[in-house]
Amino acid sequence: MFVSIFLFYGMVNAQQTVTGTVNDETGPLPGATVAIKGTSTGTTTDFDGNYTLNNVPEDAILVFSFIGYESQEIGLNGRSTIDVNLAADASELEEVVLIGYGQTTVKDATGSVSSVTSEDFNRGVISSPEQLIQGKSAGVQISQGSGEPGSGVAIRIRGTSSVRSNNNPLFVVDGVPLPSGGTASEGTNIGVGSSAARNPLSFLNPNDIESISILKDASATAIYGSRGANGVVIITTKSGRSGGSEGVFEFSTEVSFSSPAEEYDLLNRDQFLEAVDAFGGIALDEGSNTNWQDLVTRNTVSYNSNLAYARNYGSGNLRATFNYGNQEGIVEKSSQERITGRINVNQRLFEDKLRLTLQSTLSRVNDEAPPLSGSAGSTGDVLGAAYSANPTWPSDPDFNPGDRINPLNLLQNWQSLTETDRFLINFSADYDIVANLNAKVTFGYDLAESTREASLSANSFNVARGAGGNGRGALNDVTNENRLFELTLNYEKEFDNSRLEALAGFSYQDFNTRGRNVEGWGYGNTGLDQMASDLASSVRTLESMISGSYQQYGYSFDVADNDNGLFVNRLFPSVETDFLGETDIPVRALFTDTFDNTDELQSFFTRLNYTIADKYLFTATLRADGSSRFGSDNQYGFFPSAAFAWKINEEDFSGDLFSTLKLRLSYGITGNQDGLGYGRFVRRERYSGSGVNDGGSINIPGITTVDFANPGLKWEETSQYTVGLDYGFFNDRLNGSIDFYRKETTDLLLNIEAAQPSPQPFFFENLDAIVLNQGVEFDINYAILESDDLNWDAGFNIAYNKNEIQDFEGSIAAGTIRGAGLTNAFAQRLEEGQPLYSFYLREFVGFDENGNPVHEGGTDNQKFVGKSALPDITAGLSTSLRYNNWDASLYFNGQFGNYIYNNTANAYFTAGAIGSGNNVIQDVVSLAGVESRFAEASVSTRFLEKGDFVRLQTASIGYTVPLGDSSFLKSLRFTAIGQNLFVITDYSGLDPEVSVVPGASDLLNGLPIAGIDYSSFPRPRTYSLGLNITF
Amino acid sequence: MVMRFIKYIKCIALSMCIIPLLFSCTDLEIEETDSILKESADGSGFPGLSDPESSLGDLYNKVGGDFQTQENMFALSEVTTDSYVVPTRGTDWGDNGVWRQLHTHTWSASHLFIKNSWNGLNQNIFRATEIIESNGSAQTEAEAKFLRAFNMFFVMDLFGSVPFRGVDEGPEIDPMVFTRSEAFNFIETDLIEAMPDLPDGSPGVANTGTATKASASFLLAKIYLNAHIYKGNESPDNADLQRVVDMVNSIEAKGFAIQEGYFDIFEPTDDSETIWHLSAEVGPRIWNTLHYNQNSPDNTGGGWNGFSTLAEFYDMFEGDPNSNYVGDGQEERRGWVPDPSNANDENLGIGYGFLINQQYDSDGTALETRQGQPLVFPKEIPSLVGNTEVEGARLIKYHPFDPTDTGDTESPLINSFRRHQVLFRYADAHLMRAEAMMRMGNDATEMVNVLRRLRTDTPDLSGVTEQDLLDERGRELYIEFWRRNDLVRFGQYTEPWSLKEVTGDDTKMLFPIPATALLSNPNLTQNPGY
Repeated sequence: MFVSIFLFYGMVNAQQTVTGTVNDETGPLPGATVAIKGTSTGTTTDFDGNYTLNNVPEDAILVFSFIGYESQEIGLNGRSTIDVNLAADASELEEVVLIGYGQTTVKDATGSVSSVTSEDFNRGVISSPEQLIQGKSAGVQISQGSGEPGSGVAIRIRGTSSVRSNNNPLFVVDGVPLPSGGTASEGTNIGVGSSAARNPLSFLNPNDIESISILKDASATAIYGSRGANGVVIITTKSGRSGGSEGVFEFSTEVSFSSPAEEYDLLNRDQFLEAVDAFGGIALDEGSNTNWQDLVTRNTVSYNSNLAYARNYGSGNLRATFNYGNQEGIVEKSSQERITGRINVNQRLFEDKLRLTLQSTLSRVNDEAPPLSGSAGSTGDVLGAAYSANPTWPSDPDFNPGDRINPLNLLQNWQSLTETDRFLINFSADYDIVANLNAKVTFGYDLAESTREASLSANSFNVARGAGGNGRGALNDVTNENRLFELTLNYEKEFDNSRLEALAGFSYQDFNTRGRNVEGWGYGNTGLDQMASDLASSVRTLESMISGSYQQYGYSFDVADNDNGLFVNRLFPSVETDFLGETDIPVRALFTDTFDNTDELQSFFTRLNYTIADKYLFTATLRADGSSRFGSDNQYGFFPSAAFAWKINEEDFSGDLFSTLKLRLSYGITGNQDGLGYGRFVRRERYSGSGVNDGGSINIPGITTVDFANPGLKWEETSQYTVGLDYGFFNDRLNGSIDFYRKETTDLLLNIEAAQPSPQPFFFENLDAIVLNQGVEFDINYAILESDDLNWDAGFNIAYNKNEIQDFEGSIAAGTIRGAGLTNAFAQRLEEGQPLYSFYLREFVGFDENGNPVHEGGTDNQKFVGKSALPDITAGLSTSLRYNNWDASLYFNGQFGNYIYNNTANAYFTAGAIGSGNNVIQDVVSLAGVESRFAEASVSTRFLEKGDFVRLQTASIGYTVPLGDSSFLKSLRFTAIGQNLFVITDYSGLDPEVSVVPGASDLLNGLPIAGIDYSSFPRPRTYSLGLNITF
Repeated sequence: MVMRFIKYIKCIALSMCIIPLLFSCTDLEIEETDSILKESADGSGFPGLSDPESSLGDLYNKVGGDFQTQENMFALSEVTTDSYVVPTRGTDWGDNGVWRQLHTHTWSASHLFIKNSWNGLNQNIFRATEIIESNGSAQTEAEAKFLRAFNMFFVMDLFGSVPFRGVDEGPEIDPMVFTRSEAFNFIETDLIEAMPDLPDGSPGVANTGTATKASASFLLAKIYLNAHIYKGNESPDNADLQRVVDMVNSIEAKGFAIQEGYFDIFEPTDDSETIWHLSAEVGPRIWNTLHYNQNSPDNTGGGWNGFSTLAEFYDMFEGDPNSNYVGDGQEERRGWVPDPSNANDENLGIGYGFLINQQYDSDGTALETRQGQPLVFPKEIPSLVGNTEVEGARLIKYHPFDPTDTGDTESPLINSFRRHQVLFRYADAHLMRAEAMMRMGNDATEMVNVLRRLRTDTPDLSGVTEQDLLDERGRELYIEFWRRNDLVRFGQYTEPWSLKEVTGDDTKMLFPIPATALLSNPNLTQNPGY
């Protein structure tokens, strides 16, 4: 019946063939849709933007559309050729956002998704991609815990939902989900303590990034199933599409000047001597006046340059880039050098039915780390030593102050260099099997190889682990290799008044981590490069003596009391310890442990989108993830979600007030298995960890059980509800959104204390407890002025999040505090009814008549003080102004309601510190007569401070040089950017946005740390000048 | 041409369909790459360790580590007594109050060292059980039984009840709990069963690094001597006391004996007293008490300036109460402090035993504090907090040691991080036997005096009371892990001493079951008073 009516309709109308070309501002636009309005008849443009449409009724109206462009409707009016220029869609809400395994527009999105494109990225010195979007989206808290080049970044989307280490979202680069861990080793503690791994995203050149999508609610992230609980960040690199047919070169270069934004107001020689006297002490005067802080920090110049070539040749496009950057840190001996190359190629074949995409990048990152640590002991690291060093000491690296670190001595005798090579390639083929059905296959390969060499020479004074006098060094090799295979099928069908999109997919990914940790002790040389090469050559010599597989080997002049020489611990083919005798190597003792394990993830997923009348949008997703990290009982987890959106402004009753009014409802379950590690569900045996003792001996490890059989281990789950509203007024000149959410994380995977007796102190269990995050997010954007030569717009976002742990029967100490007299001290506790990272402290009342601190309820009465390191409110404000060829922008971010434990002050800035002959800040001097120089300084509310701040993160000004048509250059632009220009805060430390990050093995009870400031790497203030040319 | 391409595309399409089938066959099983996966044939039960001998070696390492640190077991055994206190000095050694709480007996069930000791000891018990339940050699099994008994002894002694988990019981099982007297029987059985398969044991470094018949006998003597405490009886049973005597006799029969040269016993050289030593570094025993400016060539950063003893403990020893230089008439075991006349490169200016008053470096130069004041250790400690760097006599039994033993005082090869910690010593056995005899109604005076005559400048006692015996044990065995055990047995653990308020609270005779342990195992009940 329907068919015959259609045929009849066709017969009574005269029909013809229409051809034409669709262009955008840069040239032909391939892939645009040309459809006859009111029918499902249509076609798409070819590589050259041409189209041909047969059997078009004479009175038809053609609809030209393309994602990211404003649609046009043109009546045929008897013409047979219609050429169209599509304009890019100015309205932000038409913006394309990438969602998992596909894309949509902001207008049609059912989930909470925000997208930031390259023109909105943060600017200045950017060492890794997440900094590009800091503060750009409500509810996304991004903080770099220190000012060190290449340091890790904490990203929290809608609060902190896991009690374990990793709360960062899943990163997906061009469709390849990255492994969650770092690519470089944390490194062995060779005498100064451990520090967290480097930022694993440093390998991406921020200049290559086209857009970053942030998926926040469960309906958006559930398509990533077990890895979606912390949100998903999808990074898309630039293609050559805008390159034009002749090709465009783009060159940009930037020079940056950095200096410490803040310094401690330390006492100089005379002030120090007076202060010691004021406290009744007797100063040790070594006769000099040394500003140690100045000696370990510096002003630096950094460079970054990019050369890119892009070409769009019709049937495809390519883009190639080369980047070189060298960022110097403001603490001596810190830098990051990055060299990256990228090639992205898109090719369409067979009348556009097959689309091939290749995206690949090769990078080398060289990190130089100063002797800083998140877990420095009583003598501190180079910064702690510089803050506390007696200013009368001579500025001489050979001066030995007895029991403390001479900062110059430590700097001179320390070296830590890490080289990380990473290769990430992604190839996909996308084929239209039939008109509405499309299949895509993707292969991804990611290889990261990292080597870290650290040396602390025998000339160092008063460091830990027997390094002084002997020399100690480490060599840490890590290779991360992961492979991805993905197949997706997409089906689209238009019905009368509705539209269906269906996606089904399969994904397999494996993650191999392998490498070795080598520790050397007792060097014949003190040259730092020579030490590194001595260790490497010792390793080569010893490994050449060993045949067959092994887990460990070690060499000592004093192995197990008196057996000299090399021992090898083997697992395969059978457990065996072999003694291979003595040899000649340039270190006196050496120990090596190796690791090699692989995790697999296999997934099936589907998504249905159904739209009725372009008003009611439904989305449902389901993902089943199978993981080799779980035993057969719970190997697969199922992660469903559903969402509904209602475009109220499309309803007749809504009137003209709103240009956008969309209500969104969503619910979904996502999972998390990060931080669990390999093989925790099965009884396994391995040789114990060991190392070279302070005196150079090695306890030869034996094999031991490292895990129980624990087949019941299962996925951690987060269920999330979201109610959101997108709004727009005045044709979306004013727009934004508001979201309310509630996230409940259950079956918390936590490494809890085992019920003893047990082979290990901790084992993983699914805790019967809940981490609750609930909050509201609000975004508003306003184009205040819009004209041809003057534009001014502003955006503001703010989010409130409340975090609480519920139904938890235990109480776990966390938040290690470091420093002299602070061993075993901690400042936080995990307990029900409290937010994560709640401070658990003595309540400081004042000082007694003897100048000792008084705490409520006695010296050692620790309790919850009702304050947490988590902020209640995070906010960002950005504004930009363009006037003719000039443009300027400002970006502020802020954080409120959080508290910081000032461990730096606790460890270094008390009367007791000056009583021990250490330098302090000016503030301490005023305590003379109040606090005794022999007073203890326990962990208390005395050192807990408000962390509220507002920071002018970036201010930029740019000038685009007007060029004549005849110019060789296509564009020329200059920019000047200031970063971290000021911070408004009451926090007395150097910077309120801090978190000390020790190595994973130094975390108390394996719980992560937030809001503790312990001689963190100071944050720089940076000014950059940039030049950008295209030709 | 076009057809060929279409064919090619079809091939790709086909492989697209096949590849996922290949991948989807993955069973997500992990492979043995850097660890051995242990599953029993039927998927349940305990499959046995791959190499029980190797695991036994690892367990010795683990026990060594647990008894090496100044924290945990050492702190619970010594810092809770009158022999040791860790005063907070300025900001140093505040350490969140862990040391203060131990000395003042104000610890709670969440005290870190209590928890760590519980976890460490019980973990060792489980590892020993795994070795016992695997098919190792008879001697391996016997050594593991000894190590299990040793660790369980401390759990019983410190905490009372003792949890136990079979090797085939996974984390889903709440371990059963032995009462104190059940644990006693279990330990006794382990030791008696182990005895036939253990090597005899004889004096000498090479023979005392692992479990022997002698070390098992020593541990049996310990549990029998304290048996009434563990069994909840008012007074000792003569049968148990006789067993103490028998056990010590059997050790003596293997050639162990008290010997001259008190501080030589703690060097890693042969002696007739050491029954069992651990391959554990003695660095913490040396450096935790010494001042920052007292150092050695292999530890230029110097000591950690923490542990001190109480004046009243120091005063138990013979000699000038206010000076401890050579020739002050002190008994040998109180040691001596070098002065300019005898400080040299070999002793480094670092004394033995009790260090009080002015300290010197290896040149005989008077040492100074970090503020440039004379480094003088007064024996009195007025308060737990608010101290300077110097308060308190220091107590050191191990000493930076020259392994070349050439007596070369010009260029000694000092190693202060050697691995040789004495755990079981014959002088202890000797005094245990004396105590057992005394408790059975005999006169122990001569037995005590035999020992005192070997330690110089210790006049014979005219008679030995219980108090005398406790004091003698204190003088002989200070900071060797036994002071708490002795004070409890002699009923003096809850007595007052400096910097500790009188409590008389008998519930302090046991440590609390750690809060985390109670949570993880509902079969445990908290000890009274906590």
